Amino acid sequence: MAQKTKENSSTAELAKAKVYIIGETPMVEEYTELCASRGYDVFVAWNDPPNPVRKFNSSGVKPSTTIPSGVSIGLELSNTNTEQKKKNLEKLDKSLPPTAPILSSSVTISATEQSSWIVQKHRLVGIGALPTFVEKRLVEVAPTVFSPTETVEVVRRFYVSLGKEIELVQDRVGMVLPRILCQIINESIFAVTDDVATPKDIDAAMKLGANHPFGPIEWAEKIGIKQVCAVLVALHNDLNEDRYRVSPLLKQMSIAGEWWKSQ
Amino acid sequence: MFKHVGIVGAGTMGSGIAQVVALSKIDVALYDVNDTLLRQGIERIRADFRKAVERGKLTQEQLTETMERIRSRTSLSELTSCDLIIEAVIEDLRVKKDLFKHLEQNSKATTVLATNTSSLSVSSIASGVSKQERVIGMHFFNPAQTMKLIEVIRGEQTSEAVVSSAIEFVKHIGKIPVRVKDTPGFVVNRVARPFYGEALRLLGENVASVEQIDRITKVIGGFAMGPFELMDLIGIDVNFSVTQSMYEQYFGEPRYRPHPIQKRMVESGMLGKKTKRGFYVYDDKI
Repeated sequence: MAQKTKENSSTAELAKAKVYIIGETPMVEEYTELCASRGYDVFVAWNDPPNPVRKFNSSGVKPSTTIPSGVSIGLELSNTNTEQKKKNLEKLDKSLPPTAPILSSSVTISATEQSSWIVQKHRLVGIGALPTFVEKRLVEVAPTVFSPTETVEVVRRFYVSLGKEIELVQDRVGMVLPRILCQIINESIFAVTDDVATPKDIDAAMKLGANHPFGPIEWAEKIGIKQVCAVLVALHNDLNEDRYRVSPLLKQMSIAGEWWKSQ
Repeated sequence: MFKHVGIVGAGTMGSGIAQVVALSKIDVALYDVNDTLLRQGIERIRADFRKAVERGKLTQEQLTETMERIRSRTSLSELTSCDLIIEAVIEDLRVKKDLFKHLEQNSKATTVLATNTSSLSVSSIASGVSKQERVIGMHFFNPAQTMKLIEVIRGEQTSEAVVSSAIEFVKHIGKIPVRVKDTPGFVVNRVARPFYGEALRLLGENVASVEQIDRITKVIGGFAMGPFELMDLIGIDVNFSVTQSMYEQYFGEPRYRPHPIQKRMVESGMLGKKTKRGFYVYDDKI
């Protein structure tokens, strides 16, 4: 497999390393499965533990609310619950060895803001984590002003060991793809509200007329309406412009469920 | 079902539409005010069909038969037998409104009058016609021969019968219709706006470079082309004017606000691929 590439020889020590993953479903499961399949020893915890905990295809996955000793990398994957995210990061910062970097989703809160919550600020690096994104061979990574190049290098090697490349972007809420994509989705829901066309027809139109890989509404369902809405709310708060006003229907949907599936 | 379709304007869109309609065994009358453009339009269709024959997708007989179904017309009065007339002239409201008045005089009372506008209001184009219920929008995408989608736009006064007949026609010619309300940008141009607009904002705010944004949208997003590659292909001027038109039609809605980067590039003549300078440089030799 891709693990047999030359670059992986330098990550041999990482490939046997322990990883601690905490955050929201389904990103936690996605990252856990990937890391375990690449030979990592994965310890995993959820903000809201699923019941029952799903079976992982790979061995070496251990649900654990406490962080074991000797973990090389910690991942925090929450986008919708700031308080919980803060607690998770504080816990990681307290329990991980000082050399271990923390990769934290910085889609809805900048990595710089997150680093202000912990003592060892240098170890936190932002990543673009949204459901389904981990399937792709590229990841957006946002170092903060506190991140030394060595930390960024460890993060890069970690992703190489997972068969991925990284793209270093500025540490801004929404990063690149989540901002573009969620604004497309937002626009499509405004169009639904304005009765321009049915959700089904909007999806068809964007795939056939603009060559988009998915319709915006089916895409929102793939990622999860709650996640999409969290990105948009964060953009609106951060940029403070009407341009990022969140569709009221989308907000409703995020709370109440996904009614257009039945349409 | 429409048996005889008139197409007004023999440019890229008009001739492309004529080609599609003729291929589904419907008689086409292709009109253009300009005789040279009309001949060029017919030649473009023939050349396209020849390529199809070379590729084995069409037989020589089918080519001859289909070409015979397309007749050139130089007078609007020759369109009176059409059941449907599709307008594909320049995107200029005055020109289109004026044309529709003439089409009304040169057609049966039951003939459906369709506009292929991509950015103007169908209701406004229809406003000069006395029976507005028979005016509808049929937005083909470029190239009309291969793009499957047609936005069927219902104007303020378009009748449901006319909408239904247009949808039936779209299906008959092998395309996929979506019903759209007459609102600025319809569906595709509207929902695609943030793809360009947010990319420009990200660039302007130095969040990432042109190359990075294109790479991220393609590799992580799965888009066939990045926003900057696509703007270069469409033409930065064309993209800018669509954005500006939507911004104005929505009375300054900030979601559609154009970006100064676009304007400056248009002002300096960097229009994308067609001028070899856009977000990327297109040199034949470096």
